[in-house]
Amino acid sequence: MAKQAQYDAIVIGGGHNGLVNAAYLSRAGLKTLVLEQRHVLGGATVSEEIYPGFKFSVFSYVVSLMRPEIIRELQLVRHGLTMLPLESTITPLPDGRYIYRGPDSAATFRSISQFSTRDAEAYREYSYAMYHMAKAVKYILGIRPPDPTSFHPRELMALLKLGKHFLSLGEENIYTLAKLMTMSSADFLEEWFETDPLIATLSASGIIGTFLGPRSPGSAYVLLHHYMGEIDGVFRAWGFARGGTGGVAEAIASSARALGAELRTEARVAHVITRNGRAVGVALENGEEIYAKRIISSLDPKLTFLKLVDQNELPSDLVQRVSKFDSYGSSGKVNLALDGMPELSCLPGYGEHMRGAISISPSVNYIERAYDEAKYGRFAKKPYIDIILPSAIDPGMAPPGKHVMSCFVQYAPYQLAEGDWNSQREAFGDAVVNTLSEYMPNLKNMILHRQVLSPWDIEQTIGMSGGNIFQGELSLSQLFFLRPAPGWAQYRTPIANYYQCGSGTHPGGGITGAPGRLAAIEILKDAGKVLQ
Amino acid sequence: MGTQQMYDAIIIGGGHNGLVSALVLARAGRRVLVLERRAQLGGAASTEELIPGFRFNTGAPNANLLPPDVFSLFRKHPPSFMQSEVMSFAPQLDESAVTIWRSTERTAMELATHSANDARSYWEYARQLERFAGVLAKMAQLRPPSLTENPARLLLAWARLALDLRRLGGRDMMDFMRVLPMGAATWLNEHFESDAIKGLYAAYATTGVMQGPRASGTAFMLLYQHMGGLQQRAVVGGVGAVSAGLAAEAQEHGTEIRTGSGVARILASNGRVHGVELENGEQLTSRQVLSNADPHTTYLKLLGPAQLEPRSYRRMRSLKLRGSTATVHFALSGAPQFLAAIGQPERLQGDIIISPSLDYAEQAYDDAKHGRLSAKPVLIARIPSLLDSTLAPARKHTLSVTVRYAPYALAESDWDAERERLGDLVMDTLAEYAPNLNTLVEQRHILTPLDYERDYGLAGGSEMHGQMGLDQLLLQRPISGSVGHRLGGHAPQGLYICGAGGHPGGGLTGLPGLLAAQQALAEQ
Repeated sequence: MAKQAQYDAIVIGGGHNGLVNAAYLSRAGLKTLVLEQRHVLGGATVSEEIYPGFKFSVFSYVVSLMRPEIIRELQLVRHGLTMLPLESTITPLPDGRYIYRGPDSAATFRSISQFSTRDAEAYREYSYAMYHMAKAVKYILGIRPPDPTSFHPRELMALLKLGKHFLSLGEENIYTLAKLMTMSSADFLEEWFETDPLIATLSASGIIGTFLGPRSPGSAYVLLHHYMGEIDGVFRAWGFARGGTGGVAEAIASSARALGAELRTEARVAHVITRNGRAVGVALENGEEIYAKRIISSLDPKLTFLKLVDQNELPSDLVQRVSKFDSYGSSGKVNLALDGMPELSCLPGYGEHMRGAISISPSVNYIERAYDEAKYGRFAKKPYIDIILPSAIDPGMAPPGKHVMSCFVQYAPYQLAEGDWNSQREAFGDAVVNTLSEYMPNLKNMILHRQVLSPWDIEQTIGMSGGNIFQGELSLSQLFFLRPAPGWAQYRTPIANYYQCGSGTHPGGGITGAPGRLAAIEILKDAGKVLQ
Repeated sequence: MGTQQMYDAIIIGGGHNGLVSALVLARAGRRVLVLERRAQLGGAASTEELIPGFRFNTGAPNANLLPPDVFSLFRKHPPSFMQSEVMSFAPQLDESAVTIWRSTERTAMELATHSANDARSYWEYARQLERFAGVLAKMAQLRPPSLTENPARLLLAWARLALDLRRLGGRDMMDFMRVLPMGAATWLNEHFESDAIKGLYAAYATTGVMQGPRASGTAFMLLYQHMGGLQQRAVVGGVGAVSAGLAAEAQEHGTEIRTGSGVARILASNGRVHGVELENGEQLTSRQVLSNADPHTTYLKLLGPAQLEPRSYRRMRSLKLRGSTATVHFALSGAPQFLAAIGQPERLQGDIIISPSLDYAEQAYDDAKHGRLSAKPVLIARIPSLLDSTLAPARKHTLSVTVRYAPYALAESDWDAERERLGDLVMDTLAEYAPNLNTLVEQRHILTPLDYERDYGLAGGSEMHGQMGLDQLLLQRPISGSVGHRLGGHAPQGLYICGAGGHPGGGLTGLPGLLAAQQALAEQ
């Protein structure tokens, strides 16, 4: 016998997509409860004081992709979201030279011209072209993927609209887009540039979070994915939220609460309760049962379909698809608490460049060799590292005079050929610090505390299967109407009243909030409401 | 100079595609001239006596991909085929082997000795492979739509194909779209657990692309290699018989064929081509020129950058050739004995594949990526004389080995210096599986990517006339802005690509030749 529903909706998982989803549902008047297993909200979008006085954006580290309509509609600025620009990138090279790209386009031009004047000129054109590409794809980020197999007029219309959108881009843009969808980031960039370290640094955006090398086809798409955020601001408007990425989650949570959502932490869902093929509630691990009219999972596809519900209630081909959904992580994170600010030997001092990103990507082959190791189950001894010093921009992140340093590291494969991450973790941390020391000789003496996270640790801590930061590879066969599985890309599931809203759905990972919002539109449609 | 056109069409290059074009145009009543630089016709679909008494297929090894539409062009001189029951045989170091037979049942039965799961999976895999490759085969026969000019008939044909695709049924259609851009490794891992079978298919999946089996787009190549269905079709007398037959048919329709006639320049002015100039300085005029040479050679060398818009020039320069295949041909005094096929010589009648695992193939690619010949290469060996005794003297055999990966651009050496090392590497690698090989070799003939460029005119040693990655297919083949088999925009009218650089790409299909000729006829 069905129990009385206590809520209109329960969202499983308090990551940023779950919170966005809950906020929109509350905004439409649904009584909504969010259940988060950890003691903090945010999932991978979280800031924590791991070492006294030092706040780390533990997992994700920059914000570039957050959909502007979400910031507007959920009034996130009023709820405390402050974006601080991350304006420059410096690539130190082993020979003591460096490439600097920053907000001052003349300085950028000068720096690149030391390697190639042609590239310095091409860089402006390239920035312009990518801006246009990102704009062209923005449309796709904002729509529910159509079902190309369906003959339903609604789906045919959606396909037609999509086709019209593409044709409206014009011939040149269509070709460039087709290239971005199919090429490797290195190949794509080599059509623009000749300076290897510049190509390497730019192509690194194409590998972040994926198990691809810069020469692997498909990485150009990931490159584009990382440019998406730049359409509404200046070029390379990656930024931080004040207080770290957790600041984003806190703002969304505050907005959701204000809209009436109830947010519970330390409430771990064991499974979804179903009756006659309909989701009616959730059972917590402590035995508590909570009933609701609809259940939304913001967890990754493997947890959503293979753990939270009984596989027997799902079509066998979906179970098969999801179990083969590629979600092995390939990146790690090393967070350092520092006694002071380290210095780059190629550009000593604490100039503007220390307030931006520092990219350890001296050549395409360097990154490619790091990938080669990972392919066979070893972490890279000479990894690609994307470094930022959040405390240089937001002094609240560390005690006065001290700093936090966030190092995003690739590659660290989830599956190791030998040993496990418990035995390899510190060796991985050493490889990162040793690599960094080649460029920042005084770094080692400043380290007060070191936190090393492998994909396995990410899985252990926040649950993401395989530790993939996008809840699943952003490969062509796992995008759009194929994400997370063919036929189930429209945020619904084969179980009535059970929905999905995580990064494992279209348009994928990153701090975008887009899956949470698009799912809310579908859920509200089924509830006879519209998103306001 | 007289203004009278000497020919309706001149075909540069007498490879099989050029000859298909010539035949189609000649049958339509056009006056056609074929110019071949080498002494022999056939280009990369030739059979040559590289070693006295031994005849080798120097390019395409078989006629698996030749579609009915092209075969039906033959009236009086059709080649004859021999089917082999075995498609591929992959010996392993432990003396076991995987054999893929034409019969799915037989293959599955044998796979069961490796893995019961794989035996079960093979049924579904073979079904998908055949079905998806069938869709590709249909796409290969249609001229790709362009973004600027599309005859109504063309759009209708593609609409019909789209409908066919939908009729595959929801699940298969979705799977087709899912698999097409995948890495072969991902697809194979979805089906199989044993390294041996995955390694075997990795060898097909990486043909013609400078990528390892993990790379997106290699599942496409795996399907492409099976467009002719699950078969292993040898040509009696060698693959050159296809080219010879086409040439004979074309000549019966009045086509003039000149060998030993290299083209130095394509002549164009006022936005139109009007003929060619030979290497000996002779000028020949025609209304149309169809080039069976690769796009780089055609547009950058023969036509010249001055005739291209800057945009097309830039794109052509960025065309990725990425030749990475070498071949070593051996004259053998007897049949090699593979330890995994003792007493079962029929297993050696198809492709013999040395690629024991996905990682093996991936590592072979890693070397090439960094500009080195693979230390442990992927090999596809064939002994055509086992089926066709006319290719070698009595009781002797020909062995042709395709080597992956041999990158055209070596980082620290050059091919003239590496040639013999390549030959030794192939012998040493094969000898691990067939130890008596070393005692059988009478002579060998090595073709490096550089030789393919110098002797066969393949720019960058690219046997596909441009790498067949996803970014260089369909309307982006050879480059963005193509309208069917010519360039759009202000490129000179009347010039077509009729070789592997045009859609659908490389292999012994005859389709680029057929499609280019049809377009040339329609646009005359």
